[in-house]
Amino acid sequence: MLKAASSLCAALLLALAGTVSAGEVTLPVPSGVLPPMIPDGNPVTSEKVALGQKLYFDPRLSKDDTVSCATCHDPLHAFAEPRPVSLGVGGAKGARNAPTVLNAAFLQEQFWDGRALTLEEQAKGPMLNPVEMAMPDHAAVEKKVQALPEYAPLFESAFGDEKVTIDRIVQAIASFERTLISVEAPIDRFLAGDTKAISAAAQRGWELFNGKARCNTCHGHVGAFPLFTDEQYHNIGVAAKEVSFEDLARQVQQHPERLDKLTHAPGVNQLGRFLVTKEQKDIGAFKTTHLRNVAKTAPYMHDGSEATLALVIEFYNRGGNPNPFLDGGMRPLALTETEKADLVALLETFTSDDLARFEKLAEHKTK
Amino acid sequence: MKTRWMFGLALPALLGAALLAWSEGGVETALARLPVAVAAGAEDGFASRTVWACDQRKAVVVEGVRPDEKLSPAKAQQVADLLMDLMRYCNAEVVARIARDEVITLSVDGLPFEHYVPGGPVPVQLVHGKAVHTPREQAIWKAELDKLVAEGDRLFHSDEIGTNGVACAMCHPNASNTHPETYPKFQTQLKTVALLRDMVNWCIINPLEGKELAENDPKMKALEAYILNSRTGTAIAVGKH
Amino acid sequence: MSVNLTPKELERALRERSPEAESEIRSLLNCDRRHFLKVSAKFAALAAAAGVIQPHAFQLVEAAYAQPVAAGSPDVAFRFAYISDSHLYARGMTHRFAKAVLKAVEDVNALDPQPDFVLYGGDLAQLGRANELELGQQLLKGLKAPVRMMVGEHDWYLDMGDKWKSMFGPDRYSFDHKGVHFITLNSVVEKDFWTANGYTPEQRMNIVAGLDDGRQSRFEVGEEQRDWLKKDLAKVNKKTPIVVFSHSPLYKYYKNWNFWTDDAEQVQALLQPFQNVSVIHGHTHQLLTNRIGNISFHGMLSTAWPWPYAPEGLPKLTLQMERPDPFNQLDGCGDGRVDALKNGQVDKHYNLWDRNPHSVTYAALKAGIQGGGPSY
Repeated sequence: MLKAASSLCAALLLALAGTVSAGEVTLPVPSGVLPPMIPDGNPVTSEKVALGQKLYFDPRLSKDDTVSCATCHDPLHAFAEPRPVSLGVGGAKGARNAPTVLNAAFLQEQFWDGRALTLEEQAKGPMLNPVEMAMPDHAAVEKKVQALPEYAPLFESAFGDEKVTIDRIVQAIASFERTLISVEAPIDRFLAGDTKAISAAAQRGWELFNGKARCNTCHGHVGAFPLFTDEQYHNIGVAAKEVSFEDLARQVQQHPERLDKLTHAPGVNQLGRFLVTKEQKDIGAFKTTHLRNVAKTAPYMHDGSEATLALVIEFYNRGGNPNPFLDGGMRPLALTETEKADLVALLETFTSDDLARFEKLAEHKTK
Repeated sequence: MKTRWMFGLALPALLGAALLAWSEGGVETALARLPVAVAAGAEDGFASRTVWACDQRKAVVVEGVRPDEKLSPAKAQQVADLLMDLMRYCNAEVVARIARDEVITLSVDGLPFEHYVPGGPVPVQLVHGKAVHTPREQAIWKAELDKLVAEGDRLFHSDEIGTNGVACAMCHPNASNTHPETYPKFQTQLKTVALLRDMVNWCIINPLEGKELAENDPKMKALEAYILNSRTGTAIAVGKH
Repeated sequence: MSVNLTPKELERALRERSPEAESEIRSLLNCDRRHFLKVSAKFAALAAAAGVIQPHAFQLVEAAYAQPVAAGSPDVAFRFAYISDSHLYARGMTHRFAKAVLKAVEDVNALDPQPDFVLYGGDLAQLGRANELELGQQLLKGLKAPVRMMVGEHDWYLDMGDKWKSMFGPDRYSFDHKGVHFITLNSVVEKDFWTANGYTPEQRMNIVAGLDDGRQSRFEVGEEQRDWLKKDLAKVNKKTPIVVFSHSPLYKYYKNWNFWTDDAEQVQALLQPFQNVSVIHGHTHQLLTNRIGNISFHGMLSTAWPWPYAPEGLPKLTLQMERPDPFNQLDGCGDGRVDALKNGQVDKHYNLWDRNPHSVTYAALKAGIQGGGPSY
């Protein structure tokens, strides 16, 4: 505990100097911004990043060698999913629009329902999901990677020996993902005082964002944590038109022993955070997504049901979808057409200046 | 009165020997500004030594001491204490005279000398430019304040601020739970550090579904007056959640 | 009103949206009671799609509180639900207070099994106006179970209860149900403060409507009604469980806000000889629990807004609800139900909107502990 606290302290101190040095790798965190939490025991080293990058793009981690992390978290698409929901092994349709890996390192919980507390934990999930990478168990993943000779020297230099374990695999992947940070965009320059950084429309959008449109209470910008999320879970009614939350909740109550499987089950997975906490207030609640690079990560919502930013604004303008568990903060906004356009203009200023250098990583995609 | 707080801050800096500043050249200039009777020396013809405070506005004339004579430690301490008292009271130019029989008198801004006892009641002359707040003045000021507070009370309880019939008093009867003494603080609803009026406007827009008030709108001032008045006497606790 | 539509029918109705539908919806947004009755089922569905009315008012789906309702629990004799303190303005169905009542009606209609009856806890109207009371009555007609009404000060002081009594009957009454003796009191009686000051009825109502307006008198049950209560209780066996419905708490919590009944001790004295007495009260808009002698006191939630906890006088047994978030117009509000136990006591269940439900059981109350954890 103390060790973690002191390494955090060290990280924080270095963050104030403008960058974070963890192990050998310097993460590009601007001064004043709290750096990502890095678990004790997995400092970011360049060897782990190199190994993690290779694993990230390697479809052989999936059952039929077709699906890698990059398949659904595509560098060409801001490390997110351009389809409404991702397609896994054999074209299996999932239930989620894969969120962007860019800046995911900052978040305290991963997945739309927040069930993973670290990037390492998150990376373990899709490997075993039958509609994603469909491996039978983690031992099978280990076995596969162990049998690939090109990985031996990489594991040796990253971890000291050639042994392949699932923990090492995800630690490497997580280390790579931690380098995918970019919190410098036109909006940041504007908020730092550069009134020319964003258009007049976007500036009007910023006033609306913090006023009439009521965005900032969940998607607020805070200097030390400029991700535009409150990292909480809200039911805004996505999918309320297609499923009955009450029916699903009753199913879960009647069969609590099946809870783990239900997370991926069609229909039931729409219960979202409720499946993790089992608390009534979390029925149909999903994580407030962060908004960095949001203009590049269409479509939107956990099921990709809103194709464009304009449709997202429409969704909020009508107060979300009514359902018995709708968050009481949702309400119709009566935005004018200009106001809606201004909000879209604002959201476009959340795109990182240096997105191109991340998109370049697409050259590592094999499929 | 209004500058009293400034001297509260100045005092620590002034504590110590630094408050005593005398030099022959300085005294010449300063003495030129003193009332003639003092500048010419003590009334009964004895010599005197004048000690100035570092603000160049307070002076103590010690009678029975020649201008080039050093004060005894006890007398020096008495002079220092007296200068500190005077600076604490007000910003006016004050000359105090310690006579050879230890009687102390003082004159403010050239007015006639008045008797002064250190530790006793503050002489009327020293209070806010020479006059206490008269009962009539206080009554006027209170009446004006009460008017603003009453207007704020009315608005706070009315449904005219918002558009949906919700009044501030519905969640905040007697302005309870407003905690104006804790602002500025990070307000989670606004996602930024806010002042009281920022939160008032946020409530007007959100639960009351109304139009925000300009910061210098008389209604905003009235609302603030009412809210702050409800917590009068509560210690300021900036940032408290 | 209730309309049965399957999800498919609703879907079709949405696709068939037409210009006439648009104007119907627009008029719904401005509707008053009479117009509302004329709206047909088809357009009601479209109204639901426009977010004007919750779809479940049309009983599309049955629901249950997430906490499994132990219908067959051996300890529960029967249950009733409550909705309280709606403070309606007559501003149509889209006003947030009206939508909140609709939400409460859906919650209660979704209970499975249905409660024996629904208690309405008073303050149906905000300013005692006829059109406010009528809107409330119309909204409550959506309830499947029968309703038992109770008076609050906001219903009463415009016309001293004339309209309310003509719509809902006597302001104090008693009835027996499955072995429990229920008594409803008008506990918001105030000594006349208006005649001497020459207040008009509207002024009187506005003064009473201000929780912190000290010009009004303190609530009481009053001597006449205490006599009535005494006579009513004389016929009841001391072992019979008693449940009292009252708007003011029937104890003294905070005088400035009329969280107070001036003759509380006298009323309690009439009730003390009975072994099992529970008071269910409104007015306080918060989680509130007390026990004095053998009387339990349970406050009901409001559908409209939460009151803060008073600066002093809070009963120790109360587990305070966490401060509501003003961004969320449902937070701190809700409805609930009461389980009448076979032992003559009650368990109180709070259905807090956007929060986890909270229960105050008799067992916990007797043990002097607050169970169930925090209210968020």
